[in-house]
Amino acid sequence: MNEQKVIDVKSLSVSFGNKRVLTNINLDIFQGNSYGVIGPNGAGKSTLFKAILNLIDYDMGSITVWDQDIENVRKKIAYVPQKDEVDWNFPATVKDIVLMGRYPFKKILERMNAEDHKMAEEAMIQLDILDLKDRQIGKLSGGQQQRVFLARALAQKADLYFLDEPFVGVDIATEERIIKTINQLADEGKTLLVVHHDLSTVSDYFDKVILLNQRLIAYGNTEDAFTDKNISFAYGGQLTILNKLGVTKK
Amino acid sequence: MMEILTTEWALRALAASIMVGLMCGVLGCFIVLRNMSLLGDALSHAILPGIFVAFVLFGYSTIAFFVGSALAGLVAALIISWIQQNVQTKNDAAIGIIFTAMFSLGVMGISWLNQSQGAHLDLKDFLFGNVLGVSNEDLILSGFVLVYTMLSIALLYRYLFITTFQPKIAEAMGISVKTIHYYLMLLLSFVVVASLRTVGVILVVAMLITPAATALLLSPKLKNVLVISGIIGMLSALFGFLLAYAFETTPGPAMCIVATGFYFLAALLAPKTGLISRQWVRRKESRRILAEDIIRFIDKSPGDEVSTVSIFSNISVPNYKLKAVLKSLINANLLIKSERNIALSETGIIKANNLQRAHRLWETYQHNTMGIDPELVHWEADKQEHHLDDELLGEVERKLGYPKADPHGSPIPKKK
Repeated sequence: MNEQKVIDVKSLSVSFGNKRVLTNINLDIFQGNSYGVIGPNGAGKSTLFKAILNLIDYDMGSITVWDQDIENVRKKIAYVPQKDEVDWNFPATVKDIVLMGRYPFKKILERMNAEDHKMAEEAMIQLDILDLKDRQIGKLSGGQQQRVFLARALAQKADLYFLDEPFVGVDIATEERIIKTINQLADEGKTLLVVHHDLSTVSDYFDKVILLNQRLIAYGNTEDAFTDKNISFAYGGQLTILNKLGVTKK
Repeated sequence: MMEILTTEWALRALAASIMVGLMCGVLGCFIVLRNMSLLGDALSHAILPGIFVAFVLFGYSTIAFFVGSALAGLVAALIISWIQQNVQTKNDAAIGIIFTAMFSLGVMGISWLNQSQGAHLDLKDFLFGNVLGVSNEDLILSGFVLVYTMLSIALLYRYLFITTFQPKIAEAMGISVKTIHYYLMLLLSFVVVASLRTVGVILVVAMLITPAATALLLSPKLKNVLVISGIIGMLSALFGFLLAYAFETTPGPAMCIVATGFYFLAALLAPKTGLISRQWVRRKESRRILAEDIIRFIDKSPGDEVSTVSIFSNISVPNYKLKAVLKSLINANLLIKSERNIALSETGIIKANNLQRAHRLWETYQHNTMGIDPELVHWEADKQEHHLDDELLGEVERKLGYPKADPHGSPIPKKK
């Protein structure tokens, strides 16, 4: 195995006000994998994303992406935030948003050219939303909305993807389409980090997992790290409920 | 009244007003979309001390006023941001504190100049505008601001779009959200100063937010919103000016009132989103449900025909509504009317069959999947039968394993 290291997180700690959200996180993320980021509510999953993306300040630690400061490599990184962070009444159409994936490649006076429009169109085709391209984003179903933001990430042709809860509030067809896209990207050698909630599908969806609950509980290959013991460690008292649902495994 | 358009002062005033309408309209869209209406108001009030300082240093000079005001606006924006980031005060409270303080300083300073220094500075002109005092210099300055603002928005369109829509994403893409914010504040200060003569600091916020809010009701596409808002801004200025002339009143407030008129027109009449069109859709929907209830009633009644009287006594909605819906059903060939009775036509029978199918499938669904008592499923199915399309019903039927009868034992008909 000669996998290239993409993200290197060293002793990362983050707090909001007086409240510690992440404590001493050490992580190496390798190329060509899809990582499921798993943990209970308030475990700091979104915070981890925002810290790596340098969108929030952190107390301690260092983070590099492809051995560099993230500011140098932002073009190659796509971020799909949680759906509840979006203003759905905004006068933006599907195509407007997917085209945003091309923004990082444009200088200030440069206009969008045919190539950019083609890439946006290809991304919309891949996620089956081309016929919705002139629709205002509030006039879409939850699944369609999620596809729009994933299509933007595809149009960006990024090498590293951060997807925050892409499966929340979407229909089954969309979930299948998204996981297919994730697997395809990983096969092409891209790296993906995906916040995921449904423990019963973790083993099917991801090669690797990051189990988090303010501290790093475990990470690595899904079959090694996603064990009963680690899950119970991450979820603490909530495990009885999980047992009932029959989602944990040997 | 058109003869005023031949006088030079009036033409100057009108040209200045229309330019202000255009730049405020376009820039205002971003102010509204960023939830910065209060900040826009604040910035316009906060420029007064800039005018005071400029007068003390350079005397009455359009250019000095312009620079002084723009700087005062930026100082206000910076102090407000600083408080918001470093002091535990709510954002809008921080804005309120700073703009009233700066406004007060400006009012005190200008009154002092007026009263004890004998300067000819009329506070009222700054508060409400003095459109008849527009000089050639003012006009040229407005022209510059207009061109500069429009060019900036056109060139920065992508950045303004994404930092307004999703600032976090913009940042993740490497766009400096802060720089765009302060540049927008700079443009806002310029536009406010250019509007000083026409509408004054108190009402400029109306020219910024009212046309923009109107345009946002009319189009779901940002580019169109900008164009529409600019046009509404110009029309508000034009009609407001004429209105003020006709009634011999102050132009600034008249422009504001015209803009507000446009806003309420759009709120009422906008296609799809307007109150009237929404009311219309609601009315159509309630008539459709009533029509289906009538068909179901005739279908369930013994015999092929039902007397008109029994329809009126059994379906409890106002008679005029019932009459209108019955008439439309007869016109649509779903019902056949004889002397005193009404029967279902052939297409009416098909419709009734499909409604019955929806009703019984939904009863079965409630009972089988949710375990609801058969006695209780009827009422809910009566409501739902109007809203189940074929696709959903097919799915329900498949999930239930193609049941033959509902929980009461009545057969579930096939779709016709």
